[in-house]
Amino acid sequence: MQHKTMLTRRTMLAATAGLASFATLTKSGAADAATRGGKLIYARYADSLLLDPVFTDANVDIWVSSSIYETLLFPTDDGKDVKPGLATAWALSDGGKTLTLTLRQGVMFSNGAVMRASDVKFSLDRARNPKNGAWPDMVGSIDSIEAVEPATVVLKLKHPDPTLLPALAMFNTGILPEGPYMAAPGEKDEDKAKAFAEHPIGTGPFMMTAWQRGQKMTFVRNPHYWGKAADGQPLPLLDEIEFQIIPEDATRLLKLKAGEVDGTEFVPYSRVKEMQADANLRMELWPSTRVTYVILMCKDKLKAGADNPLSNKKVRQALNYAANKEAIIAITTLGLGKPLQSFMSSATPLNIMGGPVYPYNLAKAKALMAEAGFAGGFEASVMMVAGNQDSTNNLTALQQMWAQIGVKLKIEQLDNPTNVARYRAEDFQMRHGGWTDDIADPSEITSYFAHYPSVHSLHSGWENKKVSALYLASQEEVDQTKRRAQYKELQEIYIDEAPILFLYETPYPVVWRKAVTGFVQIPLGNNLFERTIK
Amino acid sequence: MSRGAWLISRLLQIVPTFLLIGLAVFVLARLLPGNAVMAMLGDRGTDEAVERMSHALGLDQSIFVQLVGFLEGVMSGRLGDSLAFRIPVTRLIGERLPVTMMLTGMATLFALLAAVPLAFVAALNANRWPDLVIRGIFQVGLSSPIFYVGLVLLTVFAAWLRWFPVGGYGDTLWERVYHLFLPAMTLGLSFAAIVMRNLRASILGVIHAEYVDFARAKGLRARVILTRHVMRNALIATVTLVGLQIGSLLGGAVITETVFAVPGVGRLMVDSIFARDYPVIQALTLVLAVFVSLAFLVTDIVQMWLDPRVGR
Repeated sequence: MQHKTMLTRRTMLAATAGLASFATLTKSGAADAATRGGKLIYARYADSLLLDPVFTDANVDIWVSSSIYETLLFPTDDGKDVKPGLATAWALSDGGKTLTLTLRQGVMFSNGAVMRASDVKFSLDRARNPKNGAWPDMVGSIDSIEAVEPATVVLKLKHPDPTLLPALAMFNTGILPEGPYMAAPGEKDEDKAKAFAEHPIGTGPFMMTAWQRGQKMTFVRNPHYWGKAADGQPLPLLDEIEFQIIPEDATRLLKLKAGEVDGTEFVPYSRVKEMQADANLRMELWPSTRVTYVILMCKDKLKAGADNPLSNKKVRQALNYAANKEAIIAITTLGLGKPLQSFMSSATPLNIMGGPVYPYNLAKAKALMAEAGFAGGFEASVMMVAGNQDSTNNLTALQQMWAQIGVKLKIEQLDNPTNVARYRAEDFQMRHGGWTDDIADPSEITSYFAHYPSVHSLHSGWENKKVSALYLASQEEVDQTKRRAQYKELQEIYIDEAPILFLYETPYPVVWRKAVTGFVQIPLGNNLFERTIK
Repeated sequence: MSRGAWLISRLLQIVPTFLLIGLAVFVLARLLPGNAVMAMLGDRGTDEAVERMSHALGLDQSIFVQLVGFLEGVMSGRLGDSLAFRIPVTRLIGERLPVTMMLTGMATLFALLAAVPLAFVAALNANRWPDLVIRGIFQVGLSSPIFYVGLVLLTVFAAWLRWFPVGGYGDTLWERVYHLFLPAMTLGLSFAAIVMRNLRASILGVIHAEYVDFARAKGLRARVILTRHVMRNALIATVTLVGLQIGSLLGGAVITETVFAVPGVGRLMVDSIFARDYPVIQALTLVLAVFVSLAFLVTDIVQMWLDPRVGR
């Protein structure tokens, strides 16, 4: 990965999205050679839980663990493709049923041991073990793995799988050393994972040296890291990163303004302009796969037995037309969001990008309601996670907008686990939701949103046989053009059927002290610090 | 009953209280909808994944099986592993309990240092300007939400004046005192207001008692009357109040710790409830129950010292 290429890609990204700060990104190229070392303090809104690629569940783990564990392939910085990682080359053969990967030479773990093909086989076997964690399905097409020392790994597949390459760039296929892992105390794999994750060993640019839970976590540079900067000097550029846990938004920003931390994540949208205006700070808005929507229950009856008007497609379309997304984007995101063009974000590969869906049209909404036999409207309820300001803004705005078509919306505020429990029990009429992809492929989000057998289409009960068939076919379609066509059709049906209220996509808001440059947050969320300097 | 026997009976009362609290928390935590796996996975993960992970954490067992496991653990001193952090609960709480102890300790100290002398000043100048000023200031303190007071103190003393760090927690004892100064002030403010008002009222009640008039008639010096007769008697009710307030102080610590990014058990408790991290919720409740019970015990002992009638 040459820095120049990266710069170009980033620059393009900034230009297309019009969001990331161009000046910052060009500056980082020159800075590589100039400044090295030092300690960066980054304030996070919540602490990590478990730094094991396979048993991890949460973004708080995933987004930082790429600094410790690396994958065979890496997602590109625009999140739409893969590039060489711990493997430098790969070739498909046997009609797409055999994948041969060539491992990068000279890669060492942070304990100084050389990475072997057997470590790769071991890590992938863990990742695909159906008993392990939440993610084995992502590499479920692998039938067997053969390690040919020193530098070749051969994957035999059950069927051709276009999602396999992006899956090999997903956090759960991170490579860890077999010896130290197996030597960790514990009988079961999960016990070993817990013990190993206390002092994780990976090939990534940093290694974790201290962790006081709920307070801070220290990463220091991995002296054995293989990556090189543009000037040929070893990466990473920083000596140390300290992650401080500061849950309160206002406190994080005060701490940044006081110069006690160098950067922080999740700036509330309402404060982005203030940060942009501060001469000591630099606000970055990274294109993301984060989408916001409201799930509409599509079953005829609600859990409690009442009739559900939302089972009528025309009602769902009417709700979409009656929602003024531009106004909601202005209210909640202060103009930082973009209306959805599909259920997936514009940073997700194979998004049809046909322009915003269901532009605001009150007359059409009223007509659709009348056609559906609900000219007089109805009462409906929506659930959200209590205390979430964005959800509150969105839903109170919708309450007023939908009143225009006679829909009286009742908002139910629930704590997160209660909300999730009712969601999984399909005990809701509408639910405010958000999603971020984990893989540089549309298959993950599509399996959740549109493929009924996976999770009943976000537990909405919406089932479309054609969409499910298209999804299954796309999962084995290695011809990219054909797969694109399948996804196009699938998304068109989905948009027309409207099992969700399409709202908006938003960038990741990160703010830094002016001196800090070279940080990257990819659309999947991963925080990349190897070229960061301060 | 001798004082020793009284003390032992007070200590023994803690045991059943403790068991009842443990049982109640165990059941209540599980009555909340959702479990740790749902809290962690959120919208991701198929239902099979949720089932598989719930099974791995033992959450699919019946509540009775879980209860027996919990009681066995408590008897043998094992409180289990945190479901979210996957480390022993004892370690998690061990790292964070001293932080909250120090915070509430400092808050109590600040509150008493401010409230006790000012209560005397206010009472001795009842309804004159010093009294009105003191009561006015504390009334504002009492009626301001902790969350807001915290943010104001942070903005003024940390962000503008740079006298104190903007939240966090240090590594050395001095750094910790320095970091906890503003949070302790915030937490202590409403506490101080309650103590001040109560103590002022008690002093006013005592100052006109017959035995004080008698002491004055006896020709005792004002200072002796104040310390030996007025203060000692007025403090009895205040000590009870201080003891009872320890519980609400811990409640306030939850908010203070969040605003000031102090890694104490208050924040851990809230996070654990949202994460449905049963072992942490249970263990923390028990630990805090011990803490509050001990605070009550100390209150009783102090009261016994102040008022010889107690414990007879």
